[in-house]
Amino acid sequence: MLKQKKTRYLFMVPAMLIYCAVVVAPALYSLFLSLFKWNGLGKMTFVGLTNYVNLFTKDQVFRIALKNNLIWIILTIVFTMTLALLLAVLLNRKFRGRVVYRAIFYFPYMLSWVVIGIVWRWIYNPNIGFLDELLHFLHLEHLSIVWLSEPKIALYCVFIAALWQGIGQPMLYFLAGLQGVPKELYEAAEVDGANKAALFFHITIPQLKETFVIVFATLTIASMKVYDVVYVMTNGGPVNSTQTLASYMYSQTFSYTNLGTGSAIASIMMLIMMVIIVPYVLYSTKED
Amino acid sequence: MKQKTVNQIALYTGLTLLALIWLIPVITVMFTSVKSSADFFSGMGLFELPEELQWRNYRNAWVEGRLGLYLKNGLIVCFIKVPLSVLFASLLAFALTRLGIKHSRSLFIFVLVGMMLPQQIALIPLNLVYSRLHLTNTYLCLILTYIGFGIPLATMVFRGFFAGLPKELDEAARIDGCGNLRLYATIIMPLSKPAIASAVIMDFLYTWNEFMLQSVLITNDSMKTVPNGLLSFFGEFTVDYGLLNAGVLISILPVFLIYLMFQKYFVSGIAGAVKG
Repeated sequence: MLKQKKTRYLFMVPAMLIYCAVVVAPALYSLFLSLFKWNGLGKMTFVGLTNYVNLFTKDQVFRIALKNNLIWIILTIVFTMTLALLLAVLLNRKFRGRVVYRAIFYFPYMLSWVVIGIVWRWIYNPNIGFLDELLHFLHLEHLSIVWLSEPKIALYCVFIAALWQGIGQPMLYFLAGLQGVPKELYEAAEVDGANKAALFFHITIPQLKETFVIVFATLTIASMKVYDVVYVMTNGGPVNSTQTLASYMYSQTFSYTNLGTGSAIASIMMLIMMVIIVPYVLYSTKED
Repeated sequence: MKQKTVNQIALYTGLTLLALIWLIPVITVMFTSVKSSADFFSGMGLFELPEELQWRNYRNAWVEGRLGLYLKNGLIVCFIKVPLSVLFASLLAFALTRLGIKHSRSLFIFVLVGMMLPQQIALIPLNLVYSRLHLTNTYLCLILTYIGFGIPLATMVFRGFFAGLPKELDEAARIDGCGNLRLYATIIMPLSKPAIASAVIMDFLYTWNEFMLQSVLITNDSMKTVPNGLLSFFGEFTVDYGLLNAGVLISILPVFLIYLMFQKYFVSGIAGAVKG
């Protein structure tokens, strides 16, 4: 038995070792790098918090990127989460063919962001893309613009692609959550004469509380990390209007070789996510 | 009864309409994949087919577009990485839930933090270290990095599922003289097929689709996996849309197959993670 006690820590070794080497240590090193001015090759100069101060006081693009990430979070919560919940409730009912519907709404989630970006760039393609074809069909040609080149709407065009990709996962979480709602609750309430809306707001939503927490957390994390789809569809343009923290961090690091500034942006992303997510983690692990 | 039929019809109509909208991008890709460059500029509608279907696009994407190579790279990385990831994460989750380790909650939170770290934060240090060790442009650097970033989610799935398995199982097994490893391999894992299936799907999707890390760690074209490889279909000035869309369709086939293989277990496996 003593032997069993000793070996139990060995079970954690492979995962912890790789996790610390590849994720934790580099993250800490990035925090350290963010205090320096460095182009990746020459001498590193310690500059304290200057990189952070500059980002928040002087850097217009950083401000746009931060704002875009916040807009993205709000859009995701309002549209992606709501639509996913609606679909989950509808597809939780028993009817012929629901498996097919579930698969249709889920499958874009399996595609890589690069594929999503390529497909939607094609849809927004001026003149020969689907969207312009549709406007032509509806005799609304005059509304047609070069969708991804309009600074005011480009971000929203990219978001629609992300919405298409993104409802599958939260829908699945909600479906899993709905299976745990006891049927008796509905039956009892129906006997009391509650209508469909009342059932939804007074039983379904409160019963899904835990699922909401998970969906909210995963969607927020994903929104903070948005990168690939922006990179493929607009590469942060036109005139930086679709820049996100992740894409800006990338261009600071690899296009301008400001490794200190890049690390500072990554650290800020990490801090924002911590603030949002730590309560979730504490909540979701509290039972034990 | 009548009200019910009306509702049913409304439900089907609404869902079908939305499903059609959801399918439009895929249908567009299918139609596009069999057209030649000239077809797009001849005023042909998006949903019209040319007289001669360009099945060549698929062959060209595979050979000249080197998609066959990118797929091979992706499959090699996935087939080595996903089983290792599932093994390591399940061992960790097993230790955290069933071996009475001290501070297991704190350790789990420590692992979960990895889920909220943007991958970008590791990018610069990893790139520096891998270049110094001459590991950039190798499968090894991708496999190591992807295991590291895949561990948190997979551990969460297994931990949630293991926590739902009754403790009596362990007690009975202990009385029969089962050690830790045998408990894991002969009792817990065989009961955890739904969790294994969800972990495999999620880990495979992550690995197959990851783009950002490898766009930095892999610069040699013949080592690229699929997402990065697909982007090289974009020429400097021109894009052959037929070729590109054929490539897109080929690239999503493996993902689709994996999903079909494991989907039976998928929702119940997720349910474990959600409840955990």
